[in-house]
Amino acid sequence: MIAATNISKTYRLGRVEVPVLRGASVAADDGEWVAVLGASGSGKSTLLHLLGGLDRPDPGSGEIRFGETVLGSLGSSGLDRFRRTRVGFVFQFFHLLPELTVLENVLLGSMVGRGRLGFVRERASLTKRADGLIDVVGLSHRRTHRPAELSGGERQRVAIARALMNDPPVVLADEPTGNLDQVTGGGVLDALSTLRESPGGGRPRTMIMVTHDPGVAERADRVVRIADGVVQAEPSRAEAQAE
Amino acid sequence: MYQALLTRRYLTSKVMPLLASAAVMLCVAMELITWSVMGGFLNQLIASGRSLIGDVEISRPQSGFPYYDELIARLEADDLIVAASPTVDAYGLISLGEGQTSFCNVKGIEPESFDAVTGFRESIYWKPIEEPLPKDDGRVDPRLSESNEDVYRQLQTFGETLEPPERADLPPTPLTVLGLEVFSKRGLRTDTGILERDVLTQRELTVNVLPTDRSGGWLEPVARRFVVANEFASGVFEIDSRTLYVRLDELQDMLRLDEAERVEQGGVLEPIIDPETGEVTGFGSPESVGIDPARATSVLVRGADGADIDELRERVDAIYSVFANETEGVPPAAFVNVLTWEDRNATLIGAIKKETALVLFIFGIISLTSVFLVLAIFWSMVSERTKDVGILRAIGASRLGVAWLWIRYGLAIGAVGTAMGVGLAFVVITNINAIHDWMGSALGMTIWDPAVYYFTTIPEDFDAAKVAIVSAAGVLSCVIGAVVPAARAARMDPVRALRFE
Repeated sequence: MIAATNISKTYRLGRVEVPVLRGASVAADDGEWVAVLGASGSGKSTLLHLLGGLDRPDPGSGEIRFGETVLGSLGSSGLDRFRRTRVGFVFQFFHLLPELTVLENVLLGSMVGRGRLGFVRERASLTKRADGLIDVVGLSHRRTHRPAELSGGERQRVAIARALMNDPPVVLADEPTGNLDQVTGGGVLDALSTLRESPGGGRPRTMIMVTHDPGVAERADRVVRIADGVVQAEPSRAEAQAE
Repeated sequence: MYQALLTRRYLTSKVMPLLASAAVMLCVAMELITWSVMGGFLNQLIASGRSLIGDVEISRPQSGFPYYDELIARLEADDLIVAASPTVDAYGLISLGEGQTSFCNVKGIEPESFDAVTGFRESIYWKPIEEPLPKDDGRVDPRLSESNEDVYRQLQTFGETLEPPERADLPPTPLTVLGLEVFSKRGLRTDTGILERDVLTQRELTVNVLPTDRSGGWLEPVARRFVVANEFASGVFEIDSRTLYVRLDELQDMLRLDEAERVEQGGVLEPIIDPETGEVTGFGSPESVGIDPARATSVLVRGADGADIDELRERVDAIYSVFANETEGVPPAAFVNVLTWEDRNATLIGAIKKETALVLFIFGIISLTSVFLVLAIFWSMVSERTKDVGILRAIGASRLGVAWLWIRYGLAIGAVGTAMGVGLAFVVITNINAIHDWMGSALGMTIWDPAVYYFTTIPEDFDAAKVAIVSAAGVLSCVIGAVVPAARAARMDPVRALRFE
């Protein structure tokens, strides 16, 4: 389970303090797909960054837990390791490295996690896994292409494959379809949905996806709304049906 | 691992890193060329002493010292010394006729022992050669001609021995070997490197020297005609333009340093009286009181290969001291100089050493611009790659890993630039004389004037130690230039980096 409890985050723009999150709480059970729905500037991306250990909440403002681990207790290298092994990010603007090919972009996460010798030793199996992920997102014919040679949808599929390369238990997706048309976005969500599933047929990965699009949020198990930095919980479909 | 991959891709994907590499290349090449030429100049200057005085010279100008053969025997008995040779040195005015005159160092030598000490015979110019000079593509050098071989062989023999041919009708004219540049008016250096002026062999010249008496006062000038047996080219302009070799005994005779009877000073000469007339018809010879042995003004010493030059000088000094103490009539050690070529030219060599260090220091400072250039380029590239830093941090790269990426990138740029710089320097240095010739013919520029820089060709000393030091400095300067941008990249907030536009 990943949970943020009563966290606040304030950015400083010069002398002006801008509160982005104000006591926000959100949680996702293992295997659950939670959509955080909110308008632009509501703090949903910041929430995602905090959950992924890319940033830290304001001191004394609450805590973020991943299982038994409190992220606030981790040092810089601990957070680096957390991002490498526990979460996979998918961004709205894909954020692929333009000089690398599709295969290299997907392999990048595994390179970061290993030293040179470690990577060389496991190169064959890692490349096989990367090829498998590329195949699942339907880009086998593009594995040697550079991001500039791909369409927006294809780039996002590469980003999804990269996020899952290290087999993280949690996927954090920040407006993954925000930069795509509806049809392409639908395809990307399908790919995310497919890759979220455990290959062994067990419990799927946990996914927290922020979006401003209610249509996209509908595909999640549960939707929470965020407005002005405050999360307002909505009942899950199961809870709604039970009610 | 990702650092290696990204370094490779960053290097080949933009022009900026190539510009930084080019800057490093130029700095490295500049340092290496300067150091190699100035170091080569210095080394050649020191080494050139061997072609003039061997390794160590015992000298007493003007009056010289006697019993030099015994001194040489003592010297050659030492393990550190392989050969020694007597010489007599004097300044002289030489005249070739038609108003061509030159001031020269006239050197009296014993050709065989002088060759053993200085390699004099190697420098004889007019002799048959098999391989043309590097730029003599048309093989126009007359020394290559097989039809001239006998003539040149004879000239070579005359030059090497300074023995005039026997003549039945006339007493033989003594021979001389003249420095190739003495009458060249500094015009020897041509596009082909082949001598382009009248051949002087077989021509007569007059040598004028001023002998001195025992008190050092000048006596009447002595002039003697010599035939030019050959010319020599040591490659040291200072030597080739100012030196004339004659036989030792010939110059001893001219300078009154040869063996002579000694008479008592102030003695009364006996009148010669005609017994028939009783008139005084003249005065008899003064009474001989002994023999003044022949004198040499220098003894040149050649040390064994690998002998330490300072140790050799000390050994020679010690041998001379013992010789002077044990031999009557020999000036004490305090009255003679025992010097190496380096000692004799300490002021010049010291100045060149300091100049070399100064030029390297100045160029080193100039090369520091490459540090700032790399810093500026990296600063700009880190800004341009801010999003890349954010992506790497998002997928778990550590701050140290990101810093290492940029330092490694600096290392790569430094290595590439340094390798190119070493290559460029190697090409320039190994072809420096051809480049200089081309500049002279195409652009009318002559930077290396042999009259100023001693040597007829530009010396160079491109060695591994210099390459290693300059290369290390080149790479290090890039790494230093990359440190600040690398630290900036490492400190970046990943969230802001991801949002960077």
